[in-house]
Amino acid sequence: MLTRTIKRSVLEQLWASPLPPIFLLPLRASITTVSHTTSAPAIPEALTNSATQPSDSQTASPRVSQQPDVSSYQPISHSSLESIPKLPTPTSHDPSTPTTPLSDSIRELLPLLRAQSPHYITAHIHARPYLVTQGDTLRLPFLMRDVSPGDVLRLNRASLLGSRDYTLRAAAPAPVAMPVHHSPLRAKGGTLPNLAERGGYLDERLFVCRAVVMGTEAEPMRVMEKTKRRQRHVKTVRSKLRFTVLKIKEVRVRSLEEIESGEEE
Amino acid sequence: MPLQALRTVARSQNGVGAFILQCKRLDFHYCDWAGSSKGMNSFLQSHLPAFAASNPQIEITVSPRPRKHPVIKGTYINGREKAVCVRNMEVKEILAKAELLRDANGEKLRKAKKPVKSANESVRGIWDPFHGANWSI
Repeated sequence: MLTRTIKRSVLEQLWASPLPPIFLLPLRASITTVSHTTSAPAIPEALTNSATQPSDSQTASPRVSQQPDVSSYQPISHSSLESIPKLPTPTSHDPSTPTTPLSDSIRELLPLLRAQSPHYITAHIHARPYLVTQGDTLRLPFLMRDVSPGDVLRLNRASLLGSRDYTLRAAAPAPVAMPVHHSPLRAKGGTLPNLAERGGYLDERLFVCRAVVMGTEAEPMRVMEKTKRRQRHVKTVRSKLRFTVLKIKEVRVRSLEEIESGEEE
Repeated sequence: MPLQALRTVARSQNGVGAFILQCKRLDFHYCDWAGSSKGMNSFLQSHLPAFAASNPQIEITVSPRPRKHPVIKGTYINGREKAVCVRNMEVKEILAKAELLRDANGEKLRKAKKPVKSANESVRGIWDPFHGANWSI
């Protein structure tokens, strides 16, 4: 009898741990770094009948106006340690930001896409696509000039923007009229219009994608041995490339009010 | 609801909120006597104050290392260390090495195949033949 009471008291002490009762513990355990709350109205119809109408779930963006593709990123600020709630506007913004009114399908479906997080985006840097989500590390295949760690870049070229059930896809780029006997590699002097001029990107008012420059990475030294025939001399060529590392700070779909009011971020 | 793994400790995502430079300390070692420290000694006198002032996030220490070659050592927030021997180098070369150590992240150099590294779950989920659209053949 006595042993049983002692046992019970010990057990009670064990169970009186700092943890809250079991029904208060989180029901859903997850490793992800982003919360997966779906506040969109239940499951959209696009998912259930996407086989019959595949074009319904994908809204076409309005035509992006003709812009020179000077660069796909714009340095914004050199914020090091201070956390700014709202980042300042880009210093050099394209003067030809599209001002065309939004199409009806965007007006109808963009709020649904915005309501469902998390989002992914296919951002283009120097015309190469990178599918990223918030918090991803992006090691560019080149060393970016004139940036230092802590700089924030605004990635304004994207071809896809989506959530679990919705995808906003850029309009198909206008076809290029090319002479048959010329391969595109041999065309010189930039005669081909690039993707931005052909309208192959999303309207940059619809989303905000920011990346922080984390630093520079390098690859291990490459050693290549060059030999010639019938000669004992071996030339060793060494090279070591360096790459800029970005961290995706923010991927956000802007609301219709933000877009209509014309405010820039 | 699919089976989920247990909740783990939140990972740090440097740069998503605040940004912290990954190099936290640079140690400059020199020798007063040796000729290989000539460039290093003039770097310490001429360039280091400006370098330290332009990088206030980094703790900078200068210490002698007699009868040895001059070395710059970087300590990183991932706990690793990176050391560069700067013997017989000019001032400009030493500055370039210091900037290399400042921009590095302390990881071992390795060849990366994929440009994007992600800790997030797939946004669109894994394809499942029993859900979604019903294809009629």
